[in-house]
Amino acid sequence: MVKKISCLIISAAIITAGYFALGKLNYWERSVRIFSMNNTDQRFEGRGRGGFERPEGFRERSGRQVMRELPDSIRARFEAEGRRPMIRDRNIPDSLRRQFRQDGVERIDRGSFEGRTRDGGDRGRGGFSGGKKINLMNVVWFLAVFASFTVITVYLDKAYCLIKKRRNGKVNIR
Amino acid sequence: MNIFKFFLSLSLTIVMLLLMDPRSFYGISFHEWAGLIIGIFFILHKILDWGWIKKVTLGFFRKSTGRARFNYALDVLLLAGLILMILSGIPIARTIDFSWFKLGGSPMFWRVMHTSSSLITLVLFGIHLGLHWNWVVQRFNFKRIRNGEEN
Repeated sequence: MVKKISCLIISAAIITAGYFALGKLNYWERSVRIFSMNNTDQRFEGRGRGGFERPEGFRERSGRQVMRELPDSIRARFEAEGRRPMIRDRNIPDSLRRQFRQDGVERIDRGSFEGRTRDGGDRGRGGFSGGKKINLMNVVWFLAVFASFTVITVYLDKAYCLIKKRRNGKVNIR
Repeated sequence: MNIFKFFLSLSLTIVMLLLMDPRSFYGISFHEWAGLIIGIFFILHKILDWGWIKKVTLGFFRKSTGRARFNYALDVLLLAGLILMILSGIPIARTIDFSWFKLGGSPMFWRVMHTSSSLITLVLFGIHLGLHWNWVVQRFNFKRIRNGEEN
């Protein structure tokens, strides 16, 4: 009895962890993206690096908003060159550059492998550090999803076998 | 043989989980090479069950049980998922040069395909393990295995 109760508690913990992992990894949305390929392809057109969606408004923030916030002299220089300021531009005041760096750190802290900034070392395409780095946090979340589906299947299978046993008086085991 | 199958399956599971995040374990080069090699071990995993595959394939509509059919269909989906994962990984590979392998399509298309297929396949792997859980539990019964009671 104690064994059964501990098994149930462990199973409940695994399923709960899996449920949180599904949300954390944005699992469903990324899984069904394969079925809405046309829209996805258009959405990602021109975004290039990384292949994963960046937070909404990121482009606007790094473009128009920065343009508005810049001192007149620097803005005039960008307008003369016919381009928008990027984070890498060294003429941006330190305060603004620091602000972008903070944004980058926030994205990385979320634990997802989507859209990291160059300042943080990784930024999608070409951004892999290539070093001997081991960080298994995301793997643990994937393990939680995997284990939760295993546990659900085990219990569904047991329930199915039990129902079948009651109906037929025997269980079909592969 | 069962012990070998067990450790092969365990290795496949661990490597599959490590492959889910390209940045987690020794970077993209491990991700790409291990992703290619895992296909070979998956085929080996299936070869070890060749007798069952042959039996179910030949008697799919007549002799096989519903459970066997479901397992078979799941295995076919897993195979399709794995092929899709490897195939979609080829055009977006960075450390291995697959420029000779022309698949067409935009890198974004293949990237989304790669991500989605791997996430769906992981769920299918979980279901596959759940359906074979009794077999896994039996592998831990070492005393009976040593005495040759398990085949």
